[in-house]
Amino acid sequence: MIEVRGLSKSFGTMKALDDVSFRINRGEILGFLGPNGAGKSTTMKIITTFLAPDSGAVTVDGIDVLERPLEVRRRIGYLPENVPLYLDMNIHEYLTFVGRARGLEGARLRERLDWCVEACGLRTEYRKNIGELSKGYKQRTGLAQALIHDPDILILDEPTSGLDPLQILGIRDLIKSLAGHKTIIFSTHILQEVSPVTDRVVIINEGSIIADGTVADLSRGAMGTNRVFIGARAEAGAVEAALRSLPVVTELKPLRATEGCRFEARGPFSDDLVGSIERLARERGWQLTELHEAPYSLEDTFIALTRRARGLKEVA
Amino acid sequence: MHNDLNMRGSLTIFRREFAAYFNSPIAYIFIIAFLVLNAGLFMTGFFLSGAADLRGFFGNLPFFLIFFIPAVSMRLWAEDKRLGTFELLMTLPMRTADVMLGKYLAALAFYLVALAGTLTLPIMVGALGNPDGGAIFSSYLGAALLGALYLGIGTFTSGLMRDQISAVILGIMACFLLFVLGIPAVAATIDGWVPGLGSLLQNYLGLSSHYEMMLRGVVGAADLAYFLGLTAVFLVLNALWLEGRKF
Ligand SMILES: Nc1ncnc2c1ncn2[C@@H]1O[C@H](COP(=O)(O)OP(=O)(O)O)[C@@H](O)[C@H]1O
Ligand SMILES: [Mg+2]
Repeated sequence: MIEVRGLSKSFGTMKALDDVSFRINRGEILGFLGPNGAGKSTTMKIITTFLAPDSGAVTVDGIDVLERPLEVRRRIGYLPENVPLYLDMNIHEYLTFVGRARGLEGARLRERLDWCVEACGLRTEYRKNIGELSKGYKQRTGLAQALIHDPDILILDEPTSGLDPLQILGIRDLIKSLAGHKTIIFSTHILQEVSPVTDRVVIINEGSIIADGTVADLSRGAMGTNRVFIGARAEAGAVEAALRSLPVVTELKPLRATEGCRFEARGPFSDDLVGSIERLARERGWQLTELHEAPYSLEDTFIALTRRARGLKEVA
Repeated sequence: MHNDLNMRGSLTIFRREFAAYFNSPIAYIFIIAFLVLNAGLFMTGFFLSGAADLRGFFGNLPFFLIFFIPAVSMRLWAEDKRLGTFELLMTLPMRTADVMLGKYLAALAFYLVALAGTLTLPIMVGALGNPDGGAIFSSYLGAALLGALYLGIGTFTSGLMRDQISAVILGIMACFLLFVLGIPAVAATIDGWVPGLGSLLQNYLGLSSHYEMMLRGVVGAADLAYFLGLTAVFLVLNALWLEGRKF
């Protein structure tokens, strides 16, 4: 369990973090999302004890990062944004070094090396100098390094940055395979990265947390209204008029349709939009070709949230 | 148990750093340059004055090492900052001091290997004449302590800097300062400006007087304390600086 309370951190006059708080429970995966320069890395560096905050506190399994940093470090596997690799070593030497530095030896070390090499797909390049590896293998070696001591907690700073789509898929699967066993925070500035791996997101922008919850909760809060697509084989004017007459529909937009008609209807999340429209269609005898909620993408949510955060800042 | 793990941590860092020296061709270039230069100085002295002794070699060392040692230590921290491995080292379950000690001792071991390569010189001298074994031993001790001190300074300056070139330049300047402060003429000049200051600096910081006692075969407690104490000061400063960087 990680608890971040009221973190602030400045670099010179630059305020990188401003009262950042969130928590993550044991076994949870958290997507830490925000544009470049938002403060993701700084937050992670504080959690991993690399940096100290100006104010605020972080506890990892109840242990304060400033009071007992070594105990915190023992529990955490950390992949920094700049993957920390010794280019003059091969993968075996490097992972052995990190394993030893983390107190592993003998049979236990060999067992963990085996596991990491298998899990991260490093077998074929195992004896190659790290300096000669492709970007994808370097990233995976960095990930293996974070896993070597089988930590309960993983802090991964942009683990998929700079990788091609296939490599991204590989890393994603690896993170997913660890779900449930480990507490994981991974950061990204790419929205699409989050939903395939986890539901839970914390969004940071310009040093402040602007959202914390599940993707669905966030879009609810950010967008205000639910969105439903309707397609029907019926006369467009009549359908439109009927839909507008529904009290739960607050907005209606006609869409282009290949046959019949299509609409996008919006209404409050609290109301059963789909149910009301279904009943209406049955009463009127329309043949529905389409009726479903369209969840907002993380993109839409993100844009709405950052806009709102900016608006709030300007007001303040 | 805690201290035990920390010792093991230093040892792990030591092994990686020591191997890193020999993983790069620069190590061999360093060692060969060190040996050739020193043997060359010795030979020149031998042929010019016909004296089969090691004074020339040891006497030149404080000046020569000003350039050699910071070049050995420059990579210790600056390289990790460049590679990003600094962040890895600072999030391992060991204290900054443990990492620092591992690195420092690796550099010292590397220097001692190079120094051991000059042991052919006393063997030659022994074959040619009748050298003072005690003085040779204490001279080697002095050379080891001198290197240890310069390395302490170099490790410290490597920690201050992000890139190796700045680290080596700052290291050379700092070593040069200790060297110059120990020169009697320099001390006298400073005394001329501020009476007493030059001698004070010469006694407490300048290395010549301490080092030269050892070349003469005298190993005094004050001289040992000078080298070991000043080395420790720089190492402690190094660890404090790296800890302070967090804030
Ligand atoms: N060591 C540093 N010195 C000065 N500014 C820094 C430093 N590290 C981060 N910053 C600044 O703090 C802000 C947050 O950076 P960072 O945490 O790296 O953001 P992110 O990881 O979300 O891209 C940025 O404006 C960045 O320029
Ligand atoms: Mg970052």
